Amino acid sequence: MARKRNPARLVIALSVAGVLAVFLLYTSIAGGGTPSLSPSTLAGHTGRVSLAGAVVGPLTGDAHRGGLHFRVKDINGKAAATTAVVYTGSVPDLFKVGSHIVVDGSLRNGTFVAVPGTLVTKCPSKYTPKKS
Amino acid sequence: MNIALVLAALLAVGLVLYVARPFLREPEAADDALETPGEDELRRLALAEERDRALQALRELEFDHRTGKVSDEDYRALVGPLRRAAAEALRAVDAGREEAAGGEHAPDGP
Amino acid sequence: MAELGRAALVLTFGLVVYALVAGVYAAMARRRRLARSAQNALLAAFISTAVAAGVLWAAFARKDFSFVYVANHSALKLPLAYRLSAFWGGQEGSLLLWLLILTGFSAAAVLLDRRATRELLAWVTPVLGGVACFFAFMLVFVASPFGTQVAPADGAGLNPSLQNPYMLAHPPMLYLGYVGLTIPWAFGMGALLSGRTDERWIVATRRWTLAAWMFLGIGQLLGSHWAYVEVGWGGYYAWDPVENAALMPWLAATAFLHSVMIQEKRGMLRVWNMLLVILAFALSLFGTFLTRSGVINSIHSFTQSSIGPWFLGFIGVVVAFSLTLVFWRLPLLRSKTKLESLVSREATFLYNNLLLVALTLTILWGVTFPILSEAVRGTAITVSKPYYNFFLRSFGLPLLLLMGIGPLVPWRRASLRSLERTFLWPLGIAVAAGVVVIAFGGGSSKVGLITYTFAAFVAASIGLEFVRGTRARHALTGGSWVVAFGGLVARNRRRYGGYVVHAAIVLLAVGIAGSSLYQTVREQKLQRGQSMTVAGYTLAYRSFQTKKGPNSVESRALLAVSRGKHSLGTLDPGKNFYPVEQQTSNEVAIRPNWATGEDLYVIADQIDADGSVYFKVLVKPAVNLIWLAGFVFVLGSVIALWPDAREERRLAERYGTAGAAVRA
Repeated sequence: MARKRNPARLVIALSVAGVLAVFLLYTSIAGGGTPSLSPSTLAGHTGRVSLAGAVVGPLTGDAHRGGLHFRVKDINGKAAATTAVVYTGSVPDLFKVGSHIVVDGSLRNGTFVAVPGTLVTKCPSKYTPKKS
Repeated sequence: MNIALVLAALLAVGLVLYVARPFLREPEAADDALETPGEDELRRLALAEERDRALQALRELEFDHRTGKVSDEDYRALVGPLRRAAAEALRAVDAGREEAAGGEHAPDGP
Repeated sequence: MAELGRAALVLTFGLVVYALVAGVYAAMARRRRLARSAQNALLAAFISTAVAAGVLWAAFARKDFSFVYVANHSALKLPLAYRLSAFWGGQEGSLLLWLLILTGFSAAAVLLDRRATRELLAWVTPVLGGVACFFAFMLVFVASPFGTQVAPADGAGLNPSLQNPYMLAHPPMLYLGYVGLTIPWAFGMGALLSGRTDERWIVATRRWTLAAWMFLGIGQLLGSHWAYVEVGWGGYYAWDPVENAALMPWLAATAFLHSVMIQEKRGMLRVWNMLLVILAFALSLFGTFLTRSGVINSIHSFTQSSIGPWFLGFIGVVVAFSLTLVFWRLPLLRSKTKLESLVSREATFLYNNLLLVALTLTILWGVTFPILSEAVRGTAITVSKPYYNFFLRSFGLPLLLLMGIGPLVPWRRASLRSLERTFLWPLGIAVAAGVVVIAFGGGSSKVGLITYTFAAFVAASIGLEFVRGTRARHALTGGSWVVAFGGLVARNRRRYGGYVVHAAIVLLAVGIAGSSLYQTVREQKLQRGQSMTVAGYTLAYRSFQTKKGPNSVESRALLAVSRGKHSLGTLDPGKNFYPVEQQTSNEVAIRPNWATGEDLYVIADQIDADGSVYFKVLVKPAVNLIWLAGFVFVLGSVIALWPDAREERRLAERYGTAGAAVRA
C-alpha cells in the first residue's frame, strides 16, 4: 500500500504548505504591521504608524476631554526634532516628562494625532547605569 | 580586604584539590580506560529497548482493551502481531545474553 | 568583600574552562580519571559560583552601597525581601543567577546520573562546561556585578510596582525553566557526540524537561498575574516581545515533551526530537537575550546594553554547533519504524507537534520582524495583537481539539468503528455545551463559542479516561472506587498526570476566551454621588479620600457596588504617589465573583482637581479560571514527575544488565 511508504513525510509537507497558506492569507488580508518610527524619522509618513520617543513638556490639556498635548523627541537624543502629539484615552501611570513612550497614530498637519488608548510607557531604565 | 583574599585563596586551593582528586587517589591507575559500551554492548541495549517497547505496547493494548477504547475485533487483530514481536524481542535479548556469557568462556572469541 | 566575589568568579571561569577542555580530551582519548576530574570541576564551579552569589546577597542584606550593583538596585528603606530579590534586578545579577542555576543543575545532573551514564556523561560534561564558559566569561570580563565605588548615602531604589510578591518569584521561576532546558539539550548533544543511538539521553532527561517546562509555565502565569493586578490596564498579556520570549521556549518544550513519548514508545522521530531540543534551548537563550539586551522596542527594554552582541554570537555558535552534530550523526539517527496510520495516537502527537512548532515560529517571526524589516527596508515595522491573536486562534483551537482527540485514539491504528464508540459521548457533551453557551448569549462571539465547545469536548474526553480507567482497575482489583482511582493514577503517573495538565489547559482556554471575547468595558466620568452600570453591576461613586501610607500618598475613590437591589460591598480604586521615586502607580480594585469566576475590574483612570474621577470598568467573565489553571497545572506536573519505583527498576534492569555484562 502506498500509505506504508511513510505518510509522516506527506503529513509534514502538507502542514508546512498549510501554515504558509494561513500566513499568506493573513498578511494579505490584514496587511503588514505598523512601522515603528521616531520623531526624526516620522516626516513624510502617512497612514498609521507607531511613534516611539521621550516625552518633552509642557503637558497641557486633558486626555479625557479634548486631548492631552505634549511633544516627543528622539530617545537617543541625537536629533533635536520634536513632534507635537495630541492624545485621548487612558494615560499609563509612568507617563510624565522624560518617560519613554510608544503611541500609535498618524501625522496630520504637522501634529501626530494618536489612536485613542494606544499610549504605552516603557519601564524606566533605572536598572542599568545610564550609559550616555 | 585581606580576609577576602585569604578566603579566596583557601577556596581556590580546596577546589583545585577536589578537581585533582581522581589523580591523587590513584597516582598509578592500572586501568585508566573510560568504560565505553562496545559494539555488542550497544546491540544488546538496542535489543533491550526493543523488548521493553514491545512489552509496553502489549500492556497498553491490554489496558486500552479493558477500558473499552479498543474494540474486541481490533484487539484480536492487533494482539497477535504484538505478541509475536514481544516474543521475538525476548528471544533476541536472551540470545544476546547467552552469546555474551558463551563468549567469555570461549578462548577463541573474536 | 567584592574581591572575594570577583575572585570566586575568576575561579569559576577557570574551572569551567578546565571542564570543557579536559572533558573533551578525556572523552576522545577515553581517560577515566581525567573524565572524573572534569566532572569534579563542574561540581567545584557550582561551589565557587555559590560563593560569589553569597557575597552579592550578603552585600544586599547589609546595604553595602560600595557595591555599584547594590547601590543601583536597592535603597536604605527597601525591605529585606526586595533587597534580596534585587539580586536579579539588573543585567549582571541575572547573568550570575543564570550561572548559579546552571552550575547547580550541572552538578545535580552529574551526581544523579554518575553510575548509570558513564560514557554519556563524559561528553555531557564538556558541553555543560562550554555553556557555563560563556556566562562565566561575561561575568568576569564584560559585565561584573562586583564593581565598587565610594559608597553613596543611599541607593537608587526599586520601582514601587516591582515591590510585589509576584515579582519576587517570577524571575527565578523563569530562570529555573530557561536554564533547566540546557540539561536535555546537553544530553542530546552528548548522545550525538558519543555516537550512541539508544534512548538513554531521553530517559535521563525526561524529568529535567518536565520540571523546566513546569517552572517556565508557572513563571509566565506569575508574570501575567502581576500585570493584571499591579500594572492594571485590565489585561494580563500584551504580546510584548519579552512576554513572547518566555512563551516561545515553553511551546517548543511542550512539543518536545510530547514527541519524546513517541520516540520512547516507537523509536520514531529521532531527528525531529534532536531538532526540537535544540530549538527549545536556543529559544531560551534567545529569550534571555531579548529580555536583557534592549534590542527590540519593548516596554520592558532596558537601555541598549553591552551584552547584546555577545549573546547573539553565543546563540549563533550554539545553533551552528548543534546542527553540525545532527548533520554529522544523521545516518545513526535514522529509524526504521514508520507511521502506520494517519489515525493513531502517534499521528495526533505529530499534528500537535506541527501546530506547536508553527505557533512558535509565527511568534518568533512577529518578534524579530521589526529587526528584519529595519535591516531590509530601513524602517522597523512592528506587529501587534491582531497578528498574534489570529495565529493563536488558527493554531491554538485545533491544538485544543487535538487534546481531546488524542486520548480517545489508540496507538498504532484505529478502526473507524471503535472510534465511533469512543467519540460518541464527548461529541455529545460538546454539542450540548455549545447549545447551553448559545442559550446564555455566548453566540455573540463565534470564536468564543468554538473555544467553549472544544473545551467541553476535551473535558469530557479527559473525564471519560478517568472513569473508564477507574472502572477497569476496579474490575481488576476490587476494593473501593477511591482505592481503584488512586491505584490507577499511581500506576500510570505520566499518563494521568498529563491528563490533569490537559485539564489545566482547558481551564486556561476557557478563562482566556471568557475574559477577552466576552468582556464588557465601559468608561465614564463620575462626579461624587453619580453612578454607572456595567453588565448588571451598578457602581455609585460615594467619596474620595487621601491617606498617607508608609512611603506613599494614597488617593482612593470609594465606590458602592450593587447588583439590582443586592449590595455587593465597596471598591476603592485609586492611585499611589511615591514622593521619593517621584512616581505614580495605578491601584486597581478587583472584585471576584467566586461562583462564576468573573471579575469586576475598576480603574480610576484620571482624578481631576474637582474630585470627579474618570473610571474605566471592565467585567471579565471566567478570568479567575486562568489562575486556577495554574494550580491544576502544578498538580498535574507533580503527578507526572513523581518517582515511580517500578519504572526505576525496569530502567535499571535495562541499562544495568548491559553494564554488568561488560564488566565481567
